[in-house]
Amino acid sequence: MDEEYDAIVLGTGLKECILSGMLSVSGKKVLHIDRNKYYGGESASITPLEELFTQFGLPAPDESYGRGREWNVDLIPKFLMANGQLVKLLIHTGVTRYLEFKSVEGSYVYKGGKISKVPVDEREALASDLMGMFEKRRFKNFLVYVQDFKEDDPKTWKDIDPQTTTMGQVYEKFGLDRNTQDFTGHALALYRDDDYLKHNALQTIRRIKLYSDSLARYGKSPYLYPMYGLGELPQGFARLSAIYGGTYMLDKPVDEIVMENGKVVGVRSGNETAKCKQVFCDPSYVPDRVKKTGQVIRCICLMDHPVPGTRDALSTQIIIPQKQVNRKSDIYVSLVSYTHQVSAKGWFIAMVSTTVETANPEAEIKPGIDLLGPIKQKFVRISEYMEPTDDGVESQIFISKSYDATTHFETTCLDVLDIFRRGTGEDFDFSKVKHDLGDEEQ
Amino acid sequence: MDTRFHRMANRPGVQRPNGAAQGKICQFKLVLLGESAVGKSSLVLRFVKGQFHEYQESTIGAAFLTQTVCLDDTTVKFEIWDTAGQERYHSLAPMYYRGAQAAIVVYDITNQDTFGRAKTWVKELQRQASPSIVIALAGNKADLANKRVVEKEEAQTYAEDNGLLFMETSAKTAVNVNDIFLAIAKKLPKSEQATGGAGTSGQGRRLVESEGSAQKGPGSSCCK
Repeated sequence: MDEEYDAIVLGTGLKECILSGMLSVSGKKVLHIDRNKYYGGESASITPLEELFTQFGLPAPDESYGRGREWNVDLIPKFLMANGQLVKLLIHTGVTRYLEFKSVEGSYVYKGGKISKVPVDEREALASDLMGMFEKRRFKNFLVYVQDFKEDDPKTWKDIDPQTTTMGQVYEKFGLDRNTQDFTGHALALYRDDDYLKHNALQTIRRIKLYSDSLARYGKSPYLYPMYGLGELPQGFARLSAIYGGTYMLDKPVDEIVMENGKVVGVRSGNETAKCKQVFCDPSYVPDRVKKTGQVIRCICLMDHPVPGTRDALSTQIIIPQKQVNRKSDIYVSLVSYTHQVSAKGWFIAMVSTTVETANPEAEIKPGIDLLGPIKQKFVRISEYMEPTDDGVESQIFISKSYDATTHFETTCLDVLDIFRRGTGEDFDFSKVKHDLGDEEQ
Repeated sequence: MDTRFHRMANRPGVQRPNGAAQGKICQFKLVLLGESAVGKSSLVLRFVKGQFHEYQESTIGAAFLTQTVCLDDTTVKFEIWDTAGQERYHSLAPMYYRGAQAAIVVYDITNQDTFGRAKTWVKELQRQASPSIVIALAGNKADLANKRVVEKEEAQTYAEDNGLLFMETSAKTAVNVNDIFLAIAKKLPKSEQATGGAGTSGQGRRLVESEGSAQKGPGSSCCK
């Protein structure tokens, strides 16, 4: 370990592993350390099942749960948008070749105590039970407008300047009622709250396009999920980093980040010190350089049946828009199952999560829990949402944000790309990977 | 950029070492294990590209290499995963073992420690990998027989006791390199089910950039 590196990365969560991969690919000499003896940190998939029970202080699971090794339980629920940033990163870096995915079967939205399929095209809009007949027509007109909208062609804007018009005004223009606005903003544009109504319409239109472009890829829903759980993603990017020369040390305590004149010069573990010019890490390695800005509650539920009302889907996402349950932020329900090799045959893993708003977070997720039917085992965890107070310009320590309550990886990728830009002074050059990885296809 | 599920990028036209054959194509994930500097990458490089470099860099910069072996009526395609140095501090990810149908555990016949470590890797495979995995033990650097410290008989006995294929190989002179892969290919089950996806379970799909319409990955389309 007593060597000199361009960068030392601390923690093997997804963000750190993507960064490590990008830095190695860019020719940097990288040392990547985790204090745990497994990859993934917060974004690991816990295996075997006994380990999950132990982590939550519960006695070992009984034999009805099958073999513990068949389970890979995510601590943080997220799906990949099929046309989103993470899929682009996976493909451009070649990491996709280590992974296999399945499409998420259904995407649902909650209204008035029950769930309905999220309508995404004209046909589904007309068949949906979310809207009355006249509203369906108005929604259809809106969808057609968004589909035809091209950022570089003002003719398609139809007299709506997307930079100066707010999304609230656009809804008004199409005469969409509150309910339709609700599922459009939350289940299609995937906003967590209603602030977007006051912002320009362009962001929302882009998000709806991302949703429908993602959906167009594979049909059933815009979401993808990796076989064996989300924990495969950090492992894949770690392998990328290793292939480009990155050195990996798991189960290695980090005792000190060594500073000189306000700038990082190394990382000490026991009596070994590795020198470096930069450190990239998750908030847990630098408690004095981050602040808590919120909390996220996540409840893992093990079940032996799918979610009622989803046509027995083996994977689902359900969004409960905040207004439906008098909240400021949405509640998310995700479901994966044995078909993704994350549980024993016949088992399902649901996760209900939201941003904490009250002193009784467990009560906040009740509307989501109530949708699930009988639950065999619940694991509730409340995580602090940490953000860096140090932008790294002086210290050369670049810190990622905690994983937020969003259901997909778009904000994860934006954070990673931003950190990379701050750390290296340039955008990541994808061409550096593609060319080299052609090697194995000669 | 367009991204779709797509059949994994193949290496068309490479048919070594036994020439082309008609019949079914089966794809297997093969992982290499063994201490640093025993010649894991060199063995692959010799097998896949017919090359040998005296001072091989410790990593070869490829995600995995593919090579095809032809048996009588079957084309066996190996997807060969190198450790990429992650074995050095015992930091191999579970992903590495995931879905591996074959493994070559390599030691250096001139270094006793590497043989001891090879036994540990075999145990690790028996713990982490699929119970049906085909394991071969390779005593590499057979060209350095004058510096030998690991007796062939000792390794042979160990391999027999543990149900492993065994050969002494030399990436430098190419001795037994094709042979050990061929022996593995013969031992692998070529049933319809066994030929799923190289890499993982063979039940999901791979994502690849493509202009074409959505296609299923090898796992879903190959032999189902």
